[in-house]
Amino acid sequence: MNNQPQTSIPAHSFSPGSAAAIGLANCHSCGQLSPHLITHCPRCHARLHLRTPYSLQKTLAFLLTALIFYIPANLFPIMTSEQLGVIEATTIIGGIIVLWEMGSYPIAVVVFVASVLVPIVKFIILFWLCYCAKFGSPMSAKELSVLYRTTEFIGRWSMVDVFVVAVLVALIQLGTLLNVQPGIAAITFAMMVILTIIAAQMFDPRLLWDRLLVAPDNQQNAQQNKQQNNQQSDQQENKEH
Amino acid sequence: MNKPIACGLCDLVLPTPALTPGQCALCPRCGHKLFRVKDNAIGQLLAYSLTGLILLLLANFFPFMSFSLSGHIMEITLWQAATELYVGPYKLLSLLVFFFIVLFPALILTVIVSFLVSLNWVGSKMFSSTLVRLIFGLLPWAMAEVFFVGVLVSLIKLITIAEIGLGVSFWAYLVFCLCYVKVLTYIDKYQFWHWLDLTTKDE
Repeated sequence: MNNQPQTSIPAHSFSPGSAAAIGLANCHSCGQLSPHLITHCPRCHARLHLRTPYSLQKTLAFLLTALIFYIPANLFPIMTSEQLGVIEATTIIGGIIVLWEMGSYPIAVVVFVASVLVPIVKFIILFWLCYCAKFGSPMSAKELSVLYRTTEFIGRWSMVDVFVVAVLVALIQLGTLLNVQPGIAAITFAMMVILTIIAAQMFDPRLLWDRLLVAPDNQQNAQQNKQQNNQQSDQQENKEH
Repeated sequence: MNKPIACGLCDLVLPTPALTPGQCALCPRCGHKLFRVKDNAIGQLLAYSLTGLILLLLANFFPFMSFSLSGHIMEITLWQAATELYVGPYKLLSLLVFFFIVLFPALILTVIVSFLVSLNWVGSKMFSSTLVRLIFGLLPWAMAEVFFVGVLVSLIKLITIAEIGLGVSFWAYLVFCLCYVKVLTYIDKYQFWHWLDLTTKDE
């Protein structure tokens, strides 16, 4: 039954041992394997693909848009407070410096990690993953997979600062005595976080394995895998006959 | 049931490992968690989801936090934490905050409960599979636990300039977050679809 897909796709473009190399598509929605010539998963009716179509292009598009939103998010105030007629605007970085000067070191560190470190690390990792999936990498596919899982996990935590603004704006409304208003950076920062979460979802980590397990520096490894793979498929064929 | 599966992260084909409750299967090539089997998962999921839902509902009706400065007292509900932003150009932000901290977590828990109930009482594959797809579509966008950290950060920011009071809602939301995180540990794609295969029929 698997013979037809096996002959119709170039198996060498997928990592050895992968489902795609034997013509099976892993449903992104329910995780059931189906022959890739079927367009929709028979169990859950999701669209079937061997790999996310245009994965790198989509990831880069969302990532670049996020980067554009990240610029005003740092330049403009995230909130402005008015105390007895004195208006004070704070940016993300400014807020962290104020916290540090006030002596709230642990909170300054939490906010710094969530709103500065996490977004920057996420940008670097995702650009690096796209580069590696396209041009090869000095790091192993396993190390890159760990990086990918890390970005998926940490992405949402950057929202902390936006929620802080929401709480402060709602709570501190004492008219001219003291009031807090949101700033442009609050919305651009939230957009940046959302776009990077989508960018990480669009990235297909299987591309790393496809690229790196057959790359020149891994050739020996890949050949071994291929031999194993051939042996396995030979065995399968023998069984079938 | 020994159908092959493929790792969602590196696409390695494997026979479905047979696990006993409490065990977790990792991909031998990339280390990605394939799935985990937990003892009495359906019962636990139902219990924690319903508890979370009731607490989240309660959290909407009582004061969340209060703030007093030189005789002025300001009190907000959880609802207001999201909707006070609904002014001027910040309407979108307000909606996003509302979706992330109230609506999506509530929807996820509701859909989980409906899914588990539908397995036994409806038995329609189409209906149940729509619910599962909804759960996994919403998961990245529910940020209850992130919001709670945000609340703690703002508490510490405010504590030096004013008196802060914590309302009933605050504690309800805290316990809701704990239930929600507990629910997250029981959510497993393979398990959900496996239950669906076992109990529902094609139409």
